[in-house]
Amino acid sequence: MTNTPTNSFEWVWFIAKKYSDLFIRGTWLTLLVSVTGTILGFVLGYVVGIVQDTEINKDDNIVKRGVVGLMKAVSTVYVELFRGTPMIVQAMIVFYGLRQSGWEIDPINAGILVTLLNTGAYMAETVRAGIKSIDIGQREGALALGMSPISTMFNIILPQAFKNIVPEMANTFLTNLKMTSVLNVIGVQELFLQAKTAGGTYYKYLESYLVIALIYLVLCFVFSRVFALIEKKMAGQKDYVLAVEYMENTQ
Amino acid sequence: MSKEIIRVEELGKSFGEHQVLRKIDFSVNRGDVICILGSSGSGKSTLLRCINQLETQSCGKIFFHDKELGRTQREINEYRSKVGMVFQSFNLFNNMTVLKNCMEGTRKVLHLPKHEAHERAMTHLKSVGMAPFINAYPAQLSGGQKQRVAIARGLCMDPEVLLFDEPTSALDPEMVGDVLKVMKELAQKNLTMLIVTHEMDFARDVSNRVLFMDKGYIVEDAPPEKFFTAPEHPRAKEFLSRFIAG
Repeated sequence: MTNTPTNSFEWVWFIAKKYSDLFIRGTWLTLLVSVTGTILGFVLGYVVGIVQDTEINKDDNIVKRGVVGLMKAVSTVYVELFRGTPMIVQAMIVFYGLRQSGWEIDPINAGILVTLLNTGAYMAETVRAGIKSIDIGQREGALALGMSPISTMFNIILPQAFKNIVPEMANTFLTNLKMTSVLNVIGVQELFLQAKTAGGTYYKYLESYLVIALIYLVLCFVFSRVFALIEKKMAGQKDYVLAVEYMENTQ
Repeated sequence: MSKEIIRVEELGKSFGEHQVLRKIDFSVNRGDVICILGSSGSGKSTLLRCINQLETQSCGKIFFHDKELGRTQREINEYRSKVGMVFQSFNLFNNMTVLKNCMEGTRKVLHLPKHEAHERAMTHLKSVGMAPFINAYPAQLSGGQKQRVAIARGLCMDPEVLLFDEPTSALDPEMVGDVLKVMKELAQKNLTMLIVTHEMDFARDVSNRVLFMDKGYIVEDAPPEKFFTAPEHPRAKEFLSRFIAG
């Protein structure tokens, strides 16, 4: 080697260059697991949140009441389990649990599964809070028109709740982007595990982790901008156009 | 078709220990414009909300065209599509424009084709003078404008009865007039209405029947000419004397 680095800055640059393919693969896997896991988790969170908010009409038939009751019970157990245990432990239990029961799941898929289950549990509570934040009058206005509770939920409540919880969804996503680092324990070759590998050869751990710290920082910055943009877009326009063609009859 | 639309029998409602409605008996006939008067806490709004089934009665029965109201969600939805409601706080859908607000019920509940729903919405928005504002969102409107849109939204469903729960109580005095004018026009078109209100002049001039409530009972049920000149119940006398003095 001709140019041996002499200080930490040079080592950071050296390691980033030398192991660029490791870091690129790590970045890709971090993104793959966190984006896929988060999006699927959001979907699951919405389903669970809506189920938890559903009220049982005691005058409905027994089958309908039974199904709704069971779904609510399952949701509650699920949310409590996944909010009450660390993600790193969930990763171990899901991965080894599935393997021992004969399902040869690879670490990446297991990682996505854990991320989505973890996100879903938190998201369910966020969605529930979002639904509760919508004025009861919105629901009553829709019910008074004869809309069913389900139609009311999907056409009136959720679109408004969604808007309110976008900032919280951004939070969850950024958390996940960083939380995927714990998945190194089940062998997902995301950024953290790659940094460990890269640092090992020259015994330059500090420099190696500085490289991925920078990558995490850039990723989070980019995504927080993206969410800020979405939020701005959803705020809608401040002005409206008067339909002047109907003006004649008004004062 | 019979003249009677809604009949309430022995209706009672309690929230825990607190009894809000007791032994309510009355019926609503086609073309009736009934004003429900009474001081705050006398149960007026709760009665209206029971009739619309936003509250479930604790006892008693409600009949719609002589048939007792069913308790399943489907039956209640269908009933509500024929008995509209206008709220004190408007309850327009904040995520939709004025036009969409007026098409939501006709599209999702009555399943009208789009052009028909649009046509209906425009007809009623014009009649309340809100057609120029079809592109606006509720947050961009004043209270009086919101309430007129809410009335148009109710009318789009072509209801047999329209319930009004203190429709002008959240408005400033200037806007009250606009809304009352719209309601007066509806009365002249023979729309059946049940109105909880504190607008005495309106009750006297527009209604054909006045129900006066006190402590959860309907204590007086009389035509306005009689109610406003010769009320029988002492509470009604007291209530009116304060109104005349004020």
